[in-house]
Amino acid sequence: MPDWREYVRGHLPQLHVPPERESEIMAELAAQLDQTYTESLAGGASEADALRRAEAQFANWHALAREIDAAEARFAARLEPSHGGMLAGWWPDLRYAGRFLRRNPGFTAVAAITLAFGIGANTAVFTMVDPVALRSLPYHDAGQLMAIETRKAQQPELEPWTSILDLRDMRAGAGAFSAIAGISPLWNVVLTGLGDAQQLTALYVSADFFRLLGVQPALGRAFRPDEDNGTQPSHVVMLSDSYWQRQFGGRAGAIGASLALDNASYTVVGVLPAAFRYEGEPLAGTAGEVDIWFPLSANPLAASPRGLRFLKLVGRLKAGVSPERSGHQMRALAATLAQKYPATNRGFAFDVQPLRAQVTGRSRVAMFLLLGTAGFVLLMACANVANLLLARAAARHKEIAVRAALGASRFRLLRQFLTESFCLAAAGGTLGLVVAFAGLEFLKAAAPASLVRAQDVHLDFRALAFACAAVLLCAVAAGLPPAWHIVRNDIESTLRGSGRSLTAGHHGLRAALVVVQVAAALALLAGAGLLIRSFERLLDVDPGFQGRNLVTISTQMPAAARTPAQRTAMYRLIHDRLLAVPGVVDAAAVSRLPLMGMNLSARVFIEGRSTPGEPGADVEYRAATPNYFSTMGIPLRAGRVFDDRDDANAAPIALINETMARRFWPGADPVGKRLKLGDNPALAPWITVIGVVGDVRHAGLDTEPFAEIYRPYAASPLGAPALVIRTAADARPLVGALSARVRSVSAEVPAYNVWLMQDLVDRSTAQRRFVMWLLSAFALTALLLAAVGVYGTVAQLVTQRTPEIGLRMALGASPAAALMLALRQGVRLAAVGIAIGAAAAAALAQLMRKMLFEVQPLDPAAFAAAALVLAAFAALASYIPARKAAQIDPLGALRRDS
Amino acid sequence: MSNADTISLQKGSLEMILLALLEARPRHGYELAKLIESESGNKLQFHVASLYPMLYRLERKGLVEGRWVEKAGERRRRFYRLTPPGRRALGQQRRSWREFAIALNRLTGFSHA
Repeated sequence: MPDWREYVRGHLPQLHVPPERESEIMAELAAQLDQTYTESLAGGASEADALRRAEAQFANWHALAREIDAAEARFAARLEPSHGGMLAGWWPDLRYAGRFLRRNPGFTAVAAITLAFGIGANTAVFTMVDPVALRSLPYHDAGQLMAIETRKAQQPELEPWTSILDLRDMRAGAGAFSAIAGISPLWNVVLTGLGDAQQLTALYVSADFFRLLGVQPALGRAFRPDEDNGTQPSHVVMLSDSYWQRQFGGRAGAIGASLALDNASYTVVGVLPAAFRYEGEPLAGTAGEVDIWFPLSANPLAASPRGLRFLKLVGRLKAGVSPERSGHQMRALAATLAQKYPATNRGFAFDVQPLRAQVTGRSRVAMFLLLGTAGFVLLMACANVANLLLARAAARHKEIAVRAALGASRFRLLRQFLTESFCLAAAGGTLGLVVAFAGLEFLKAAAPASLVRAQDVHLDFRALAFACAAVLLCAVAAGLPPAWHIVRNDIESTLRGSGRSLTAGHHGLRAALVVVQVAAALALLAGAGLLIRSFERLLDVDPGFQGRNLVTISTQMPAAARTPAQRTAMYRLIHDRLLAVPGVVDAAAVSRLPLMGMNLSARVFIEGRSTPGEPGADVEYRAATPNYFSTMGIPLRAGRVFDDRDDANAAPIALINETMARRFWPGADPVGKRLKLGDNPALAPWITVIGVVGDVRHAGLDTEPFAEIYRPYAASPLGAPALVIRTAADARPLVGALSARVRSVSAEVPAYNVWLMQDLVDRSTAQRRFVMWLLSAFALTALLLAAVGVYGTVAQLVTQRTPEIGLRMALGASPAAALMLALRQGVRLAAVGIAIGAAAAAALAQLMRKMLFEVQPLDPAAFAAAALVLAAFAALASYIPARKAAQIDPLGALRRDS
Repeated sequence: MSNADTISLQKGSLEMILLALLEARPRHGYELAKLIESESGNKLQFHVASLYPMLYRLERKGLVEGRWVEKAGERRRRFYRLTPPGRRALGQQRRSWREFAIALNRLTGFSHA
């Protein structure tokens, strides 16, 4: 027995009634067929006869569907909003849309996957950017927290630090803040007495630092004001949760425990919550984690003079005080201090900005660039889906006309189309979450730690909300233009019986969508091109030293080595042990390594050039052993480098770099010239310049070298030297042996920050490299989407103009002419898109200025390359359907038209 | 009377016929089709294809009401019953037809149509 229900489903064209009504009608018609069939059989008819009789009842299914639609028209009218409000009938709309998408699985799959990639990529990038750049800081009333920075008017590029005496004056004089806390640079302290010596990362902070942020210790207490009174160092510390877990296994007994840190004893008074991390400077934009917290008074620089600036400040505004007012107050205070202490404070201003701005400052441009780029790609995906929907619409114009004739209003039809695009977007969004999950795993693995903190990045409620917003955006962006277009144009044209005008009308909108895609793709390609060229330039930059086969190890002198002679002897010991390792060519020491983000500046007073009484110029200061320059591969430009005669007892000497030579002795030979260092030149001895060495890019490959001065290590032996070790071949296999050799000198001597110098060089470019790769990937996706858009539009055009092309060929046009006709269409669209895209790219490039390095935002090469690649892709995408046009059979085409 | 004439007459009268057939009791589509065929001595042969759209039209007008009924041992079927507006409409149509038949009678000398 036939399945009559299936039979009806297979024959009856889609009705324009709600799905449940359609199903009811199909059941009723099936019952009619079924009963006719069984009664014929019961009456003695053969099976074939019974079948024929039943089937004969509905010979013309199309006419039947039309009549039923007409009969049901009143029902359709009943769904109109005038009867049920804006939302009435959404459920049937949804079911109808679901059915439409199920019946077109190929279309649905392509559209949903396109959107899935757009939504997924955006959700992944958003999730990555969110904790760093978008979320408010995780502190109590974080909007009131301000970063206060000391800026030198003439050298704004200098890292802003504040002196401890200026901090005291700010506290006394700035009524806008309820509290201001000082924070030291990241400090390395050595823990002894618990197994091997350990290097810990520490911060020294004002006692009210934690209260100011609104952070309560998870265990024990925070620092008391009397533990940070500035005169007497207090021997108390607080631990981070992770260090507490690591060292004390999370036991409450840690409170009150005694730790030997830098050879003094400290008592643990508190443990911070697991979720606590200070996001401001000096941690902002780094993956640095603090193990242990000291009161500021315990810092070795706590009693330093006004000229030594080493603190970052955070302040909490009093309720009702605006950031602007606090800024005025701070500027006034800076002016007062400059008058009072001209030697140290002239030319310095205090700057107030929200803490948030400081936290995100370093990575914000990169973050928003990525988010914006991903947004562009999403819009292109929407344009592609809009194009697909328009192509589908051409096939649906009869349905639209019938529904309109049955009384469906424009609003009603618009809503139906939007429901369909919403269903597509929702499917895309669901798939997109999978894409986002995979994308995030990739980003976590590939992104530099300064950009993505893996532990903070996971798909959470905010990511889900973002994905939902993206779905809504896609539904509207992909659905509205075609829906509006169809509803506006089709009803009339279709009812007039002209299907042709309809598709021709669509072509205009489709062409517009393609132009938008091409323009967006060009903007992204040009942006990626600018970043690639910047990166190329960056890789060409000479860091000033030979990074290959070079290992660096930071260490610390034991407490017993206090005098310069003892420290020099200790260093000798370490040096000799390192040289004994097979494969080691040379070893040297320096106070601060390049590319480690740490510098120390000093004031320089130049003989015959600086004015007595004026504050000296800032230069970078380093102490180095005689063979540091040869070990690092830093070239000597003039004079000589240090040698073993230049010990603590010799006359004071110094080496300078080329930038310093150019700045202070332009056109003259600096060798033999004299200078003084320090805030008080009257008391300082004269130092003779004995040579000039090559510039080193200490702050980063993309930062111009500063003026620098080197002093012999023996003259000022350091407590915490950084060792550099040159090896004959690849240093990687030796790293373990080398750090073990350093530790073997004494249980109190640690080996930390062990790096291959080349890794440091690579790390300094990691953020740029990552942003460049990601942007390039997005640009490539955009390129493909644009090519697909061009292909679809030209292919549709060829199909639509087949009769015309056929006629032309019948009248003597060559296949080549037909090919050119179609090709021209695609190329013309691409050309318009490229022109608009060039303008968009120029605007984008201005926003990207900060990310560029030695490349102009309007770099002709990047723009030309982007335009060429895009034009080539557009030509290729047009060529495929254009070739079809050339193969049109003129007679066939003409017959088809008649 | 030619076949074409019958069809056009039938079309106009199908609505009244269906209402009349439902006057006595609710019936389903198959039964209605059968009745029209047999009661008219096969003279009125409606194509089933126009029966259902007409039923839907009457339903939308609120003259009949369809309801699915499932009886033990029988297939599920949709029964239509006359609604009060349907009953009134049937009365109205009967009057119109009667008047039309009388007028026709007078004009054509045709008796007992």
